[in-house]
Amino acid sequence: MSGPPGWAAVAGALARLRSWYRSIIHRDATERAIREEFEQHIALHTERLVREGLAPDAAARQARVAFGHAESHRVDARASRGLRWYDQLRVSALDVKLGLRMLAKHPVISVAAVLALAVGIPVGLAPSHIAAAVEAPLPGDPAHRIRAIRYWDPAAVAVAATTTSEFAYWSRELRSFSALAAFRASPIQVALDDGRPEPLEAAQVSAATFAVLGVVPQRGRALHPDDFVPGAAPVVLIGAQVWRTRFASDPAVVGRVIRVGRELSTVVGVMPEGFRFPSYAQLWLPMRLDATAQAGGGATVQIVGRLAQGHTAEQAQAELERLVPPLTVASDAERRARLRPEVVPFGLLFMGLPAGGLDAMPEYYLAQLLMLVVLLVACGNVAMLVFAQTATRFKEIAVRSALGASRTRIVSQIFAETFLLALLSAALGVFLVDWALGHVNLAAIGGQTAMPYWLTLRVTSGTVVRAVLLATLSATAAGVIPAIGITGRAVYQHMRGGSGVRFGRLTGVLVVADIAVAVAAVGLSLAIVRQVTDMQGLAAAAGIPAADYLAVEFRPSDAAATDSGRSARALVTALGAEPGVRGVAVANALPLMEQPSRPIEVAGGDAEATGAQEWVRTVAADVDYFRGLGQVVLQGRDFDRNDLEGQDRHVIVNTAFVTQLLGGREPIGARLRFAARGAAAASAWHEIVGVVPHLGINAVNAERGAAVYVPTALDAITPMHVALHVGAAPMRLGPRVREIAQAVAPDLYMASPTALTEFRQGDWYLVLGLGGGLSVLAFVLVALAASGLFAMLSLTVTERTREIGIRAALGASPRVLVWTVLRRSLLQIGLGAALGLPLAAYFVSTVVGESAASPLWALLIATGLAFGIVLLVAAVSCAVPMRRVLAIEASIAMRAEA
Amino acid sequence: MATQAELLPGNLDLVILKAISLGDVHGYGVLLRIEQISHGAILVQQGALYPALYRLEHRGLISSTWGTSENNRRAKYYRLTALGEREFRQQRTSWTRLADAIALALTATPQEV
Repeated sequence: MSGPPGWAAVAGALARLRSWYRSIIHRDATERAIREEFEQHIALHTERLVREGLAPDAAARQARVAFGHAESHRVDARASRGLRWYDQLRVSALDVKLGLRMLAKHPVISVAAVLALAVGIPVGLAPSHIAAAVEAPLPGDPAHRIRAIRYWDPAAVAVAATTTSEFAYWSRELRSFSALAAFRASPIQVALDDGRPEPLEAAQVSAATFAVLGVVPQRGRALHPDDFVPGAAPVVLIGAQVWRTRFASDPAVVGRVIRVGRELSTVVGVMPEGFRFPSYAQLWLPMRLDATAQAGGGATVQIVGRLAQGHTAEQAQAELERLVPPLTVASDAERRARLRPEVVPFGLLFMGLPAGGLDAMPEYYLAQLLMLVVLLVACGNVAMLVFAQTATRFKEIAVRSALGASRTRIVSQIFAETFLLALLSAALGVFLVDWALGHVNLAAIGGQTAMPYWLTLRVTSGTVVRAVLLATLSATAAGVIPAIGITGRAVYQHMRGGSGVRFGRLTGVLVVADIAVAVAAVGLSLAIVRQVTDMQGLAAAAGIPAADYLAVEFRPSDAAATDSGRSARALVTALGAEPGVRGVAVANALPLMEQPSRPIEVAGGDAEATGAQEWVRTVAADVDYFRGLGQVVLQGRDFDRNDLEGQDRHVIVNTAFVTQLLGGREPIGARLRFAARGAAAASAWHEIVGVVPHLGINAVNAERGAAVYVPTALDAITPMHVALHVGAAPMRLGPRVREIAQAVAPDLYMASPTALTEFRQGDWYLVLGLGGGLSVLAFVLVALAASGLFAMLSLTVTERTREIGIRAALGASPRVLVWTVLRRSLLQIGLGAALGLPLAAYFVSTVVGESAASPLWALLIATGLAFGIVLLVAAVSCAVPMRRVLAIEASIAMRAEA
Repeated sequence: MATQAELLPGNLDLVILKAISLGDVHGYGVLLRIEQISHGAILVQQGALYPALYRLEHRGLISSTWGTSENNRRAKYYRLTALGEREFRQQRTSWTRLADAIALALTATPQEV
């Protein structure tokens, strides 16, 4: 019989697959069938022998002898199916039981190993967990049908604005979405019955928003199409938290009228608990597209849509790229040409991440790599613990080898034990992280009042799967490698009477490196944590007595504001006239706040020659800004009114600018201009007319805080931050400022007044995050160094039990015995510290620099303290093995090894 | 009865395939049939038969079904698959060619040299 070419190979392969499937998945049934077949064979042979004249008992006995060793035939039968490797690697329930017994038998080593991996595994998991969280669907959208539509600027690696006209076009044309919604989030002043206005996060939303999100109010109604008609009675939806806290969960809240901005609006519904779309909003107002549309592309909005039935996100992306919205302004062509329309998960729109999410960023891979290195170090140390633990079972392993257990079988059992340990660690680590995420106010750490409502960092099933995967990898690295090392030639050496196992140079180097890196990491993290918590240093970096200043943010209530400039001028005058106010300074960002950066070119400098652009902090300041802050211009002159009106453009720079961008040359008269992104024309040249000191531009490192102050009319400063110099306890003036603002500038939205010292810059959070991350890392490294030392000493004691016993019998004092064992570890600690301290000093001086906030000597004290911590932990980790040394009795030790 | 001969390694599969090619048979039946067709010349270790059977089944050369044996017990019956028939033909041809060549070589006389 013959078939098409190759059919035999295919048929053979299929038969093998079927056979493996049956033997692995239905292992028990297959084994039963084999036994049954053997029994049948023996029964038939017995009958034949009886027929030939043997007595039944003798026949049965002879049939069994003729058949041979059934168990061997069964093993051969499985081997003939190519399952020998599988059987040897297979982790059985017995392995798990043995593993549990070993964990219980060496509790200290087990706890040390579990703790090392319980930190290492979550650290390794963190990047992928965060990456998955930011791309997760919105709450109530398990199928991930809700997607954001945006423009992405690949050159700037940032989200670019989308407009109402583009929204209108896409709403009309896109078939991949069943509906689109536009929204715009901004804070707004809300006055309840008591009439006292307070700022609340609000969102203006288009008509289809709630249908797109699939959310209905828990009370009242959603926004109705009639609510969006120009001239319709103003209405508002409130969040559950507002309803609870501001309306005391009043069941009759629907129909009540509150002041939202300048309008009296009727509450028409209460949204469900936890709903804060797009991220933090507590109020939702109808967005009147006609009213907000302006000449040109229309007002800026963000867009979200629900994918139509049967359409995928990829199809939607393809359609979006095909449909190009018509240009409403010719000058928009250049902008449109460099932007890419994208359909992305909602979180990526909010976070401003590229379409691939965190995975698409090189920084993510670097972070992932670093975290995996930490895990690898943890695995290396656990491997040492496993090595030490396995070494105590040498006799057992040797006996099993002699009885015929293969190396693979023993390795797989040690793997099973380590896997159990890794699983325990992963479960513990993931549970602790989940608990911590549920109890720690992440928003506060991030400097926000709340987390985006859709962002949940709690553990998901995906996290659990990844944790199990990492546990498997960890067990392979930490269990299989030492097991292979210990089950080879060492077993036979042991059987011949040699000691067999011994820590090599590599493990010694690992311990030294662990201690060196731990000292360095602890020093660095202590230094950084000290820096971010150094409030005096931060206040000093402001260049003004920041604790005496109250900061208040004002901005026009909405796009249709009247003459906000006049209101602003009146407000500044009124605030300046208030008794107790020693000075008023207005800018878009005050000292210690985050100032926006812009690229500039300096005339005659290197920047122009190379065409390179430097990003510097740019402050739009009122002409009285420096006088308001009580500052005297160091060189040149201060701003005056003419700087706003004349043809010539003037700026003032700070000392860091002179050092960084002018290389110390004469600043007065030097010129700079603001470069535009891409090919668009740059601004006119500005002449530097004065130099001021460092005024809290970069509170973490003043040397890197180059800034340009641009004189700006009050109505053009948005947001308008007002610094009021009021002396001690500035917050006491807050209520009075609100009264003045209500009276003089009711059309300006006023945020909650804040003490100027409360502000933190992005760099500060960056340093805080770095400090926090390094602290965790330092903790892990110290724990790992300790566990490495512990493992090494434990093994040394096991290895030298007999020698110690003989020495004790010969009258060696406990001090001599301890010194014998501890000598090597002390050498390693000393070497580690000797390497680690200069490393810490180097990191501290390069990463942190000698900023005014943290003099080097203080950082060196921190480093010294780090060494102290590591030494203490090392001493503790040495203590347990040393107690074992002292407990060794000569007679017992010698009897055990005889 | 002819003198019994040990099978060369690798030839057991061929003999088993031949035994099964004569009709569906259970494991013990394979043993009896080999004994019968070789007139008792081929000796198969009883227990060694089964790993060979499972290996052939694993390779898809034979298939098995459960049936009832002559002693009214459940027994596993083996049958040749199409792949097995093909393999049997190839092995038989190859073996015959080799046996003939060896026989020829062994019966050579000094005159033929």
